[in-house]
Amino acid sequence: MKELKKKYGYTFMLLILAAIVIVFFTLTKGKQFWKPTVWQGMMAQFPEYGIMALGLMFCFICGKMDMSFMMLADFATVMAVRYIVANVTEGMSNSQVGGVILVGVVIALAIAVVGGIINGLLVTQLNIPPVMATISMQMVWLGFSTALTRGDTVTGLPTLYTEIGHKQLFGFLPLPMLIFIVLFIISALVLKYTVYGEKIYMIGTNEKAAKFSGIDTTATIIKTYVLCDVFATIGALIMVSTMASAKADYGTSYVTRCILILVLAGVLPNGGMGKILNVLITILTIQIIATGVNLFPNLNTYYASLIWGGLLVIVLILSTRMVEGQLVLFKKKNPEAKSRKLYKND
Amino acid sequence: MSEYLLQMKGIDKNFSGVHALDHVDFAVRPGRVMCLAGENGCGKSTLVKIISGVYTKDEGEVYFEDKLVEHITPAEATRLGIQVIYQDLSIFPNLTVMENLAINSEITANRKLVNRKRWEATAKEALSKIGYDIDLNAKMGQLSVADKQLVAICRALLFNAKLIIMDEPTTALTKKEVDALFKTVRQLKDSGIAIMFIGHKIEEIFEIADDVCVMRNGKNVFLGETKGLERKDLIYYMTGREINDDFFVPENISEKPVLEVEHLGLKNKFEDVSFDLRKGEILGITGLLGSGRTELALALFGLEHPSEGTIKINGKEEKITSPIKAQNLKIGYVPEDRLTEGLCMEQPIADNIELASLKRLSKGGILKKKDILADAQKWVDTFKIKTDDARKKANTLSGGNQQKIVLSKWLANDLDILILNGPTVGVDIGAKQDIHHLVHELANEGLAVIIISDDLAEVVVNCSRVVVMKAGKIVGEMTGKDITEDNIREIIM
Amino acid sequence: MKKSTALQRLLKRTEFYIFLVLIALIIVIQAVSGGQLLEPNIVVTILRTMVVDGLFALGCLLVMVSGGFDMSFPAIAALSYSLATTICLNNGWCQTTAWAGFALSIIFGAVLGMLNGVIISNFALNTMLVTLGTQTFFTGLSMGLFELKEITSTLPKGLRALGEWSLFEVQSSAGLSASMTGLFIFLIIAAIATSFVLNKTMFGRALYAIGGNEVSAERAGFNVKKTKFILYTVVGAMAGFTGMIRVCMARQSIPKALVNKEMTIIPAVILGGASIYGGEGSVFGTMTAIGIISLVSNSMLLVGIDTYWEKFFNGLIILIGITISSLQAKRNRR
Repeated sequence: MKELKKKYGYTFMLLILAAIVIVFFTLTKGKQFWKPTVWQGMMAQFPEYGIMALGLMFCFICGKMDMSFMMLADFATVMAVRYIVANVTEGMSNSQVGGVILVGVVIALAIAVVGGIINGLLVTQLNIPPVMATISMQMVWLGFSTALTRGDTVTGLPTLYTEIGHKQLFGFLPLPMLIFIVLFIISALVLKYTVYGEKIYMIGTNEKAAKFSGIDTTATIIKTYVLCDVFATIGALIMVSTMASAKADYGTSYVTRCILILVLAGVLPNGGMGKILNVLITILTIQIIATGVNLFPNLNTYYASLIWGGLLVIVLILSTRMVEGQLVLFKKKNPEAKSRKLYKND
Repeated sequence: MSEYLLQMKGIDKNFSGVHALDHVDFAVRPGRVMCLAGENGCGKSTLVKIISGVYTKDEGEVYFEDKLVEHITPAEATRLGIQVIYQDLSIFPNLTVMENLAINSEITANRKLVNRKRWEATAKEALSKIGYDIDLNAKMGQLSVADKQLVAICRALLFNAKLIIMDEPTTALTKKEVDALFKTVRQLKDSGIAIMFIGHKIEEIFEIADDVCVMRNGKNVFLGETKGLERKDLIYYMTGREINDDFFVPENISEKPVLEVEHLGLKNKFEDVSFDLRKGEILGITGLLGSGRTELALALFGLEHPSEGTIKINGKEEKITSPIKAQNLKIGYVPEDRLTEGLCMEQPIADNIELASLKRLSKGGILKKKDILADAQKWVDTFKIKTDDARKKANTLSGGNQQKIVLSKWLANDLDILILNGPTVGVDIGAKQDIHHLVHELANEGLAVIIISDDLAEVVVNCSRVVVMKAGKIVGEMTGKDITEDNIREIIM
Repeated sequence: MKKSTALQRLLKRTEFYIFLVLIALIIVIQAVSGGQLLEPNIVVTILRTMVVDGLFALGCLLVMVSGGFDMSFPAIAALSYSLATTICLNNGWCQTTAWAGFALSIIFGAVLGMLNGVIISNFALNTMLVTLGTQTFFTGLSMGLFELKEITSTLPKGLRALGEWSLFEVQSSAGLSASMTGLFIFLIIAAIATSFVLNKTMFGRALYAIGGNEVSAERAGFNVKKTKFILYTVVGAMAGFTGMIRVCMARQSIPKALVNKEMTIIPAVILGGASIYGGEGSVFGTMTAIGIISLVSNSMLLVGIDTYWEKFFNGLIILIGITISSLQAKRNRR
């Protein structure tokens, strides 16, 4: 029992938080809140940033930060959409259009891979602190796509592509949701059962020790950035489909949201820790808050930011009182225990 | 007035159930060096923190200059003339020497503005106390550890210190630097200042201390003069058991060398280094800090890339380009600094043990989870690592047990060569002996071992052959009975 | 013992190299643009762009010296000036002078900064994550709770007038005229004041000490908690002030205008020699770096590059700068 508490104490806390949120909206907006369309809406919305959060999770476990994933994904989708729009002509058959879309998607993913490799090289080969390397890269990517699009949105996508975001499989399962589920399962298996998963936890805990143990740290870190940026680009491809357009700076708020989700889920960017189950619960809770706030006609969408920002700060403060996965609110500090500085910026 | 500067009687301290100090008596005389000795976790740092006012005692009495001190706070301790020089020296690496020297007294004087002239005067005054000369405008972070330490001592002297407490000051120093430090300590002693020295190196205790207080499990087991104390007794007081030097006797040394290093060189680090290594022997590589010994070890493990010369493994020339390559060549490396280079502290013991064996314990990139735990448990049992569950985190263990994890990490692989860099730095005497015995056994089972160390006693006890390095070159080699501390010391300097 | 000379110390400083880069850029752009860069109207425009960025960067520098990381200052500025201008507008204030608006904005900024300060000084937390949280929270406050609107043509006259304050008019050889904004004086004053605080006061030394080694700073007797609290409050007030300057210069108050501003300011401060680990950085370096950014932004057209590439080149320069300084740091460690 004690073991279970230690292992799942934090998960339990997150579930309580989710329950509080659900009860709150049930009490205040019960009728509207439990409408199937509301829940279907949620299922269609969270996959795009949920997938990004999963990708960033790998970076965080590895003790790395990626601020650039959204701008890179925007650049990748801008290029993909430009390619698709330029190559789809009147009178093409559905399968021909599908072929063009596939090439476009491959282009986007290839750009994501390149971007991930660049991030990884900057961090491992030039020893630039990850935050700085990726903030700079974010500006480079934003600058690139702004220059190419002259700051405009790129439109004109074929309906075959814009459908993806709205498509319901078997009448209830949105396609983006299915993509999310698949990626989630893959991520969970990778973290738990693969050598790569083991390596990123160890690198995240102590990169030098891992290197001294014969772990190929450079390759593993580059892989992690590639994984993160590919996931982000998949999320952005879904986003582009629902928006029916691409732009240099779509989804900038997703960076903050993903970091928020991960920190809330206990995956701190100092590395070496994190459970994917907690990430899932947090993604869903965040979406419920966003949707729930929208049910109040007199509240605009920015109320969600208010809640998220406040939540992040509160969770951070509470995290200083976490001992072995359990919250200890009112206990005298043990003077022998060093002040738990979570980590130094880098 | 009694002969004591500081006297503590029946000090007791509990931490949420842990009896850290059990009615400890302690006393320091002016103009004497008192060494507070004991193994890690014996309560010596708690005692120091009570003296310096960081902790408050539960019970007992403290007298300073015969006056009863009811409640010590850090500020009160400073006012009384107690200065603590912590192991990390409490310096600011990004500020200049001048600023580091003057900043404390500026804060104490509660100044609001900076006056360079006054700072410089303060700094010069501090340096003059021990007649030490250094560039005041140099960045603190760029000084050597020994220089940093002297600056910290000068800073402490600004406060008219009567008692200076030094927490393990010799850990990061070379022998030469230790001698220089001891010279300064004697100088301070002669001027009537009491020095309290915290440490566990036996040789140093006998060299510098006038009095010694030994603690074990929160109790003081010995308090008295060093004169007349036997080395063997002191060790017994510290560990609670008899420790003998068991010299390593090689049993079967292979005919063919497993490692041959020829004219190896790395720019500005070492040059023309040649030696060979056979299975079953323990080769010691010793030298002062900066002699190139660590760089040589790193080069053998693929973490430095030599610019000239060759390395032959089992007679075949190999280029060791990375730790992965070294691992493939059956070379293992136990690094100098366990904390930053050896272990992933926040991860389970099992994962740490198997970190270098992931290839063996996986198939197609998928981990064999059960095998990992079983294999790790096997090492926990073989090495008697003190834990009830290999899934517990590595930081739940003591230093000696942690070092055993690092060792088993490499032994879990099929190894030919094991390089140990400072294998027992920061390890208690008891655990130290365990590790030595273990290495002896491994060598006799056919492993080729290299021990890199500047702890001469360790080299003498454990090595069947010793190579001495100085300024990047090999300056001497000795075997068997010729290996004595004096012989090594003669050529090492 | 050998004493290092002033020249040797200069050669070790990042600021020196950044300054050389600025000079080199000026020479290159001057040559490529056929002498257009140093036309008075262009110089005046570049200096004008420096005002807001420079003021933000000074606050950011203070935080970085202490080893912190502030992502929230644009959000603080936006919330402060939007609230302040809205209050002024509703009460008919700031019709002739601007001081009421500034006072309000500075007070709001200080209060918001205080919130950062309370959290950061009391809990040993990653400042980047905390300020990311407060940034989101403040944005939620301004656009959600207060529903602050854009104020453009109705901006109080006093604020507008301050924005139009001109020191002198200049004319280029081609006859193009530009006016030197009087608000540049504030940047100069703020730069001198920041430099004084950092170098000549114990508060400034405390920031360097905390950035260098927080535990040592505590042991040396600095009140680390109080110092951090004051720091974040002051930086909040500075953000409020800077935000108001921006309102005056842009002659409009837009709550969303500063979104992602931290993404350009923080890298620029690091380019100027501040360390992400704290304890390093100077006003001179920071101002030089901001000068480089403004120079590049404003000379795109002169060298015949489409202005849409501005962000790209800014990003590239910062990337190169950061790469060089980390390579230098790597070399110094050896």
